[in-house]
Amino acid sequence: MIAREMFEQFKQRFGPLIVRADLPSDNRLFVFVDPSSVRYVTQHIFRELDARYVATIGADDRPFSGKFLVAHNFAFDKEHLLCGILAYLPPDKPQIDSITDMVPAASWGEREMRDLVGIEPVGHRYLKRLVLPDGWPEGSHPLRKDTLWNEVPAQYDPEREFKFDEAPEGCMVIPFGPFHPTLDEPAHFRLFVEGEMVRGCEYRGFMVHRGIEKLAESVMNYNDIPMLAERICGICGCVHNVAYVQSVEEAAALKPPPRAEYIRTIMLELERLHSHLLWVGLACHIVGFDTLFMQSFRIREPIMWMAEKISGNRKTYALCVIGGVRWNITPELKLELRSVLDKLESEWRPVVAAVSHDKNIQKRTCGVGVADAGQVKSMGLIGPVARAAGVDIDCRRDHPYAAYDRVEFDVITEQGADVWSRLLVRAKEVFESIRIIRQCLDKMEDGPLQLEIKDELPIGRMGLSSVEAPRGESHHFVITGENNRPRRWRVRAPTYQNLQGIPAMIKDQQIADMTISLGSIDPCFSCTDRLETVDVRSGSVKVWSQEELLKLTRKKVEG
Amino acid sequence: MLKNLCQKMFGRSLWVYHANSGGCNGCDIEVLNALTPYYDVERFGIKLVGSPRHADVMLCQGPAMRSTAQALKRAYDAMPAPKLVFAIGSCACGGGLWFDSYSVIGPVEKIIPVSYYIPGCPPRPEAIIYGVAVALGLVDKKTAPVAFKELELPIPQYHPGDLRGEGELVVYEKAEKV
Repeated sequence: MIAREMFEQFKQRFGPLIVRADLPSDNRLFVFVDPSSVRYVTQHIFRELDARYVATIGADDRPFSGKFLVAHNFAFDKEHLLCGILAYLPPDKPQIDSITDMVPAASWGEREMRDLVGIEPVGHRYLKRLVLPDGWPEGSHPLRKDTLWNEVPAQYDPEREFKFDEAPEGCMVIPFGPFHPTLDEPAHFRLFVEGEMVRGCEYRGFMVHRGIEKLAESVMNYNDIPMLAERICGICGCVHNVAYVQSVEEAAALKPPPRAEYIRTIMLELERLHSHLLWVGLACHIVGFDTLFMQSFRIREPIMWMAEKISGNRKTYALCVIGGVRWNITPELKLELRSVLDKLESEWRPVVAAVSHDKNIQKRTCGVGVADAGQVKSMGLIGPVARAAGVDIDCRRDHPYAAYDRVEFDVITEQGADVWSRLLVRAKEVFESIRIIRQCLDKMEDGPLQLEIKDELPIGRMGLSSVEAPRGESHHFVITGENNRPRRWRVRAPTYQNLQGIPAMIKDQQIADMTISLGSIDPCFSCTDRLETVDVRSGSVKVWSQEELLKLTRKKVEG
Repeated sequence: MLKNLCQKMFGRSLWVYHANSGGCNGCDIEVLNALTPYYDVERFGIKLVGSPRHADVMLCQGPAMRSTAQALKRAYDAMPAPKLVFAIGSCACGGGLWFDSYSVIGPVEKIIPVSYYIPGCPPRPEAIIYGVAVALGLVDKKTAPVAFKELELPIPQYHPGDLRGEGELVVYEKAEKV
């Protein structure tokens, strides 16, 4: 009854500011407030109740309610509650007070909302374009309902280039990307360096913005979208697939059969296994330790084969439909999966033992890319990045979904807050995943794989779902709608939050450590960028205290 | 002819550069996979390089996006001739699921000339190696161009009205006709 208790608390505190509230279940709470009080309410929730910021969602609700809708979602991890603060805005001039000065993590969310839906965050200090391509004209917002999914405005100018910020005085600019050997995906960083030290950076990413949310809202239907969701990301696709399906199921109050929940859990954990092994390999490749890169890919390969045997494809599993799953795990597959896990465990144990005493890796990673618990809170960092800083959050335990409430596992945390701790967290999580899959195989009961859904899904209901991806929490928000498709579907991928922490992580570090710091969040730009193009300002690029020192040095060299 | 030309021009080690112009990562990790012990393309002399200026071949993944089109074109121009371009995966070959979305231009061939296509979502590492090997003339192509006709849907479309029977024995009436 935590949702009801929390709502009583809100009612006492805010009274008439609350317009309406929905309590769809014990762990979900939607509070509609007056737009002018959003700042006040979020401040109370974020600062005094110590909630974690999750996502900001802007939606064009004009065809239905005649208004725009804004939602700030927060998570109460200890209380197992996900909470949305929503406000309807007038259709003629949609504006809302920015919360970025209190909740820095909301910066991108608000900029994305401005780019895509055209809701102006008043008081946001850095309103540069984030998502849309450079040549996209101002004032055209693809996510508005009166725009078609394939509509390119006539004023679109393919030649226009992005205007970057000025480098701070005394700093050189080093462009990094969009096609860089250590970045698998296109993203552009401009590093401001002073000698060997990085003083700041500007990010122009969102180059993989494919308009996925718009496609889902305009041309797909409920059961097409899981396949689309899966292609948001090639590494953690199954996570998006499950998260989308769960949020629709929640909106429609459907409960999938238990066997389907176990199969979802198993596939999610298989995905985590392959992703963590991939990450350890890539991280070692970045720091120049190619032996382990090769080894971890060798150890990983049987998992890919196993996934292919279960689902028919090595990567995109096409697992879920609304109300169930499509693939069964037969007794033969169970047996084979167990032997794959045994082999994996026996091969991974010596690797972890060797890595955790390796002085070379420690020297490259200890004290590098530090993001402490304070930054985790303010920037909303999640997943292994947060756990490596000693922040004990894990959606599998805090907001249980699928069959995670029926299995036992430990949440791995470390205290170092640096790249080394993130490496340890991921290496150890592999064993927990193996443990979870084994328990699922033991406990899995026979039964149907899918619900029989006879009626149309209810219209205008909201659902949200958080799934712990290998990189952190993946958050999906759905408003169900007409024509067998959702009205609004918003994806907040884990890298979306973690990437915002990068400027602070690489500030005042050697430029050579930049790649591994970036690598350590396991960046997945395709997840982040789904919709549009973005640029971000990292860290404070201000007056450098070392400027005088540098000038002195230069004088000496010249003299 | 192209095969002979390839053998002449790219007789030795092939250095490849991979450019993801906006894909989902799936093809990327399969390309990476092809470098690792189970598939090991280095035995054919194929090596991944970090700069287009060093490369003979460009592997393109992902559709051509409005925001990366310029960068992709520049990377292509930076490669020394003779050069080959492989489109890897459904997105690069045909634009993928989002071929007509507002921020996507379409297949990469709309930006740069593509020499070979390796379809799949994502293609298996074996398929990628096979595609490169066919291009180099290491193996013969085992497929021939076929004109596809639109067929009747091969999967029976179940309709509850066509189910006959009682209790546990339920027969789908039209199943045999398909």
